[in-house]
Amino acid sequence: MFPTPVQKAPAWVRIGYQILLPAALVLWLLPLLGVALTSIRPAGDLAAGNYFGVPSYFAGPENYTAVFRDSHIGQFILNSFKVTIPTVIGAVGLSCLTGFALSTYKFKANLWIFFLFVAGNFVPFQILMVPVRDLSVRTGLYDSVYGLMLFHTAFQTGFCTLFMRNFIKTLPFALIESARVEGVSEWKIFWHIVLPLMRPAIAALSVLIFTFVWNDYFWATVLVQGDHAMPVTAGLLSLKGRWVSAWQLVSAGSIVAALPPVAMFFLMQRHFIAGLTLGATKG
Amino acid sequence: MAEVSLRDVKKQFGEVAVIKGVDLDVADGEFCVFVGPSGCGKSTLLRMIAGLEEISSGELKIGGRDMTSVAPADRGVAMVFQSYALYPHMTVAQNIGFGLRMTGHPKAEIARRTKIAADMLQLDQLLARKPSQLSGGQRQRVAIGRAIVREPQVFLFDEPLSNLDAALRVQMRIEIGKLHQDLKATMIYVTHDQVEAMTMADKIVVLNAGVIEQVGSPLELYHRPGNLFVAGFIGSPKMNFIKATASPAPGGMIALTLPGGALLTVPAGAAKVTAGQLVTVGVRPEHLTVGGPADAILPAKLRLAEYLGSETMFYVQLADGSDFSVKADGLAKAAPGADLAIGVPAAACHVFDADGRAIINGDLTK
Repeated sequence: MFPTPVQKAPAWVRIGYQILLPAALVLWLLPLLGVALTSIRPAGDLAAGNYFGVPSYFAGPENYTAVFRDSHIGQFILNSFKVTIPTVIGAVGLSCLTGFALSTYKFKANLWIFFLFVAGNFVPFQILMVPVRDLSVRTGLYDSVYGLMLFHTAFQTGFCTLFMRNFIKTLPFALIESARVEGVSEWKIFWHIVLPLMRPAIAALSVLIFTFVWNDYFWATVLVQGDHAMPVTAGLLSLKGRWVSAWQLVSAGSIVAALPPVAMFFLMQRHFIAGLTLGATKG
Repeated sequence: MAEVSLRDVKKQFGEVAVIKGVDLDVADGEFCVFVGPSGCGKSTLLRMIAGLEEISSGELKIGGRDMTSVAPADRGVAMVFQSYALYPHMTVAQNIGFGLRMTGHPKAEIARRTKIAADMLQLDQLLARKPSQLSGGQRQRVAIGRAIVREPQVFLFDEPLSNLDAALRVQMRIEIGKLHQDLKATMIYVTHDQVEAMTMADKIVVLNAGVIEQVGSPLELYHRPGNLFVAGFIGSPKMNFIKATASPAPGGMIALTLPGGALLTVPAGAAKVTAGQLVTVGVRPEHLTVGGPADAILPAKLRLAEYLGSETMFYVQLADGSDFSVKADGLAKAAPGADLAIGVPAAACHVFDADGRAIINGDLTK
């Protein structure tokens, strides 16, 4: 068996593993644990300089309700959902179509169009900052949820197309040929045969895109100014500006903002299944 | 009527000519088998008839109508793939009815046709299962059922039994044969296994490197191969070939001098040879004898013996170093290194000229 399993390794390796692994885990999660701890620490502790010690009392409910009551974080979270969910649907949906077309049909420009989708992702997004802001101002999409959503959809479709096209290439082509001989139209082949087999890819990509777009900070600050359209990532920053030293509230806000992508991941778990094409072909 | 005809059909992949001009007629209701070594173009030819590959030049007619540029769905063909190509997320019943459902057939009609196909192929107990819950033979039957419900003019089979184990292959071969009798449909079947070809076909088309070598019934190809390739391809184990010199002999005969000096005379028929012409003589392992009287004797040394019970295969080496295989009776025995006298019957010899064309075919009835 390779590598040698831990249970069969020499004693010093085993003990070292049992000590170092939890230590590495705690070290790795330290920033997150720090933020979580701060979010349940009462304001008094922070003022008194008690940053890393045991909190004097559990101020969780007090901090979390204060964040929602005294700031616009509810609005910010709603804006984030308004931007992220249509982006996920748009980008993943469009890339299913483009990925299918690029992987199934042979035409001269196939590879060039594919490279076009992929190459767009290699441009450093900082370079795009000024031109995209310019474009959104001129089209009247600046400082709106729609503008941010349209931009993200456009930008993410490149990567999504790459992902989907490569996934669809792994599906047995004989299935499509068999349907063609049976007289099934190309759209029906896509809808009834290819799409059901793409479930794991769609689930994986949805989680990825949700996380990318939800956690995006750069374009939130570039394309949006007012609270009416501000997503939660940039919104948290404005929280910091208002209460300079209310770290417990900022921490609480951060934890709340980090939860939806995690929830999305767990929701999609049941779609991450292998072996969907089992039984389709042999040899 | 569902006859298929190909006229000078060619196929190019870029610069490479894969099919180099094929003329073929398949009669209505015939079971025609395309056979040949890997890479000879038989699957490509089948896919061109199906419409999955474009025909570079030439003409294809199905049922008397020109189908050269017609879409696969409108050609009246149904195809069974080597890899089954079943839709894995649908049940057997849904798999069989999928094409009909997508082309707008009424539900009652789909149910009726599915039932007929399922009964014919003993799938009625499996209709609610998914492909991953079926065995290989069952999956192949579902693929065949999917073809049957379309009520096509021509069935196309692309090496359907290649992925099955030997016992199942024999069973499915018989089932497909019965299917052909029941449906009386034109069937074109591609295989690299010449045993399948010999047992199932009304007509065999032997392909090699994109050209047709010979077309004929199985026994015709066995007894009267037209060239070296067909002679060596049809028949298992493979025909033995030895270089010989031919000279005309009196009485309408041709004298063949075999390596080692043995002399054989065969009826010339329509063949004409010049004195001392170099030819290749072919004789099948099953027609050779070991020991005993014969028209010509070739001394040989035994290299390997295979005891199959029903027969024994002797692999021997002749005096000039060439290898021969001889099929002997199941009870025959010999030790490696032993000297054997291989008897060659004149009636079983085929003679091929320097270009590989057959000039004399053996006639076992004599």
